Amino acid sequence: MTVLTLALIVGAVLFGIGLYGALSQTNLVMIMMGVELMLGAAMVNLVAFWRFLHPDVYSGQMYVLVVMTVMALEAAVGFGIGTARFRQRGSVEMEEAAELKG
Amino acid sequence: MIQAIFVGLWGGVAIWFGISVFRTSSMVRSALSLLASMAAIGGMFLALEAEFLGVLQLMMMATEMSIMAIFMVMFMMDPGGLGQMEMTHQKRAAGVAGLAGGAVAVAAVLLADWGPIVAEADGPDMQTRALGIELMERSMLIFETAGVTILVAMIAATAVAITRQRTP
Repeated sequence: MTVLTLALIVGAVLFGIGLYGALSQTNLVMIMMGVELMLGAAMVNLVAFWRFLHPDVYSGQMYVLVVMTVMALEAAVGFGIGTARFRQRGSVEMEEAAELKG
Repeated sequence: MIQAIFVGLWGGVAIWFGISVFRTSSMVRSALSLLASMAAIGGMFLALEAEFLGVLQLMMMATEMSIMAIFMVMFMMDPGGLGQMEMTHQKRAAGVAGLAGGAVAVAAVLLADWGPIVAEADGPDMQTRALGIELMERSMLIFETAGVTILVAMIAATAVAITRQRTP
């Protein structure tokens, strides 16, 4: 097994854990944690691909920076929504958030 | 060989703490487990010779997860998990989706032909220089777009969170 395969397997397992967390949790912040884990898995894959397939092309590292930006944005917007919801309803439980249902 | 050991070690730590995030009923422990998992991913980056990204990951995630822990304490009635509140739903379906997603990804990793492996990468100094040139030349538009998007998200998050005052 190559180091590339090992790193990609770690990424795949982290993705599975994050997917489980994002789908199973009812609390907004816990759902965000699941999404963060999935994005972390994507970053592991990107760094592994960059290192072992094209270490001379730095677009791979650039892509990791973009994913880090997405993580920060997700946290900022998620906490903004969480704060607004907490002020209105006193809770960030997403089971109760059915206002957008059609 | 040493690289494989450290990638496997940090990967194992990342997975272990990733699982711990959803196994504890304490929100603060969840946030700290996620911090440990993200720090281990940073360690993996260092083991994969992406030194700049590894250090950046450690610094960013330490800050982000600390903020996440603070929000957890603010939003939750029971951040310590002492009341053993149930905060999950559709566990079976989520478990199946998580297992299926992970299994498909692992199968793709094992079955795909990734091509020839490159043994050597640039040193950290050359990498940082090359990444800077990449950011300021070929990927400048993407870099600038990311900056503007951060600004927009900051304004949007503040606007969403602000309490609306009703004028009489």
